[in-house]
Amino acid sequence: MSLTRLCALADLGPDKITRVEVEGRSPVALALADGGAVAFDDTCPHADESLSQGWVEDGRIVCAVHFAEFEIGSGKAHNAPIGCGRLRFYPTEIRDGAVHADLAD
Amino acid sequence: MCKAGRPDMKPAYPQAGSYPQFADLVDTERSQVDRKVFHDEAIYQAELRQIFGRAWLFLAHESQIPGAGDFVRTKMGEDDVIVVRQRDGKIGAFLNSCPHRGNRVCMVDAGKKARGFICNYHGWSFGIDGRLVGTDGKVYDTDPDFEKHAITLTPVAQVASYKGLVFGTFDPNAPSLADWFGPFTWYLDVMLDNDPEGTEFIGGCIRSEIECNWKFPAENFVGDILHAYWTHQSGAQAILGGGVDLGPQYDERAFQASIYGHGIETNLDKTGNTKTLGYPELVDYVFSQYDKAKDRLGETRARMVGAISSCTVFPNFSFLPGQATFRVWQPKGPNKIELYTWTLVNKSMPEHIKELYRRGTMMTFSPGGVFEMDDGENWEYCTKANEGWVTRHQPLHYALGISSKIDAPDLPGHIHRGSLNDANQRYFYTRWAEFMRFDNWSDLMTAETAPPAKAAPGVAAE
Ligand code: FES
Ligand code: FES
Ligand SMILES: [Fe+2]
Repeated sequence: MSLTRLCALADLGPDKITRVEVEGRSPVALALADGGAVAFDDTCPHADESLSQGWVEDGRIVCAVHFAEFEIGSGKAHNAPIGCGRLRFYPTEIRDGAVHADLAD
Repeated sequence: MCKAGRPDMKPAYPQAGSYPQFADLVDTERSQVDRKVFHDEAIYQAELRQIFGRAWLFLAHESQIPGAGDFVRTKMGEDDVIVVRQRDGKIGAFLNSCPHRGNRVCMVDAGKKARGFICNYHGWSFGIDGRLVGTDGKVYDTDPDFEKHAITLTPVAQVASYKGLVFGTFDPNAPSLADWFGPFTWYLDVMLDNDPEGTEFIGGCIRSEIECNWKFPAENFVGDILHAYWTHQSGAQAILGGGVDLGPQYDERAFQASIYGHGIETNLDKTGNTKTLGYPELVDYVFSQYDKAKDRLGETRARMVGAISSCTVFPNFSFLPGQATFRVWQPKGPNKIELYTWTLVNKSMPEHIKELYRRGTMMTFSPGGVFEMDDGENWEYCTKANEGWVTRHQPLHYALGISSKIDAPDLPGHIHRGSLNDANQRYFYTRWAEFMRFDNWSDLMTAETAPPAKAAPGVAAE
């Protein structure tokens, strides 16, 4: 597996979602949850808004735009508008104080 | 429009003007008020601009929205607003109108834990902080000229709390809420601070419509206890088993106080208002709390807690100490109001006492309540009759107690002896005229209704 460095762990904060631009693909979002960093697509599967405007609540990522909720890990959508797909999560690893993720298809 | 430039989406707060011709309708020399102020459409529009566009208006009790995203909808004048607790614990208030085509973004009266407000028309979505968070990324984000960050629900210019009560003003230049009250807080504390744990609203908001001008109920609560003897006689007999009597407690141990048009009339009989709720247990409870209240507020104010008393905070927020009913007379044109009422109790009260207050206010001051019905009918006929073409040219009499002003160094504000008095109503209309006349706050805060300087208003004198 190939890891991409996304940002310093110290850049993440509780209760916020951080958006990271990645060369050659759509942006990735990072949040602190379950005692570590989780990585997922920043683009909401509902209507392409940025999930970095949202927040983490009870084990779910909440989209601030139409309030879809995505289970951390599985990405399964709850309370979502019609036509909203699953959110894709990526495996992460901390190396030298930085968050890395496997963004392979 | 066809030039298609970029929009300026900055919130706009309308400026006040000056209407001396309307201000002159209050004749302080003769203690008279012109009947036109109760039905004229142009005067009503001027009130929306001069008064409701500038004054601090009651929005909510903090207890209604304890958690982030909790909200209530209310009115400021005729403007619909959302009052919502922010994630940082502060309270925000916004016009309930989408900056796209103006549709309301919130349809319900109250709710818990809102994540935002989505407009039903084209789906613009606003955070609880009022900012536009998104539209539909698939459309607007592909328009390079769309400036999402510049768009927000219009914030109420200032929002502030006083001991649990939340107020807002559309005027960014309005003085602070504390300055707006001045020493009138000394009287508000009778209800808001007679117990260390503070107060809360219970049981939701009851709404009803009355076809009257908003100033009739406001002047009634600011200082008209006189009407109770006649208007509420039969209702009081039914509840109390005896009539309203205008004994010496309305004269010797009673007064009216006015500051910036806010006013309270009260006697010092400890439980007169509470009695009319019809539950002897409540009266016993108020008596049992007297010593504690006296330690906190001193004797005079402790005696006011359950007493026959009524109060209006200018322009349209009123309450009855003792009966615990709090209300806003929301204007809906010159001859209609929507009445919002709540019941306020101390947080520390036992549950069954709170419940008795809730039931008591419902039976007396609600659309099905004995006293509300008594009052509403009178205000409707006052409003309608004043409209008659010849009638509207006739004088009205606001002159009871014109020589009853006293110094009362221990009591803040303009004080008149005896609660059977038109004094506070005269000050209320004088304040109304000041708002019509002045376009700036320095004149407004130093005009005739401003409190007289007193050495040490308040507790020290007890
Ligand atoms: S864009 Fe996320 S829920 Fe609609
Ligand atoms: S009117 Fe609100 S989105 Fe169009
Ligand atoms: Fe009344």
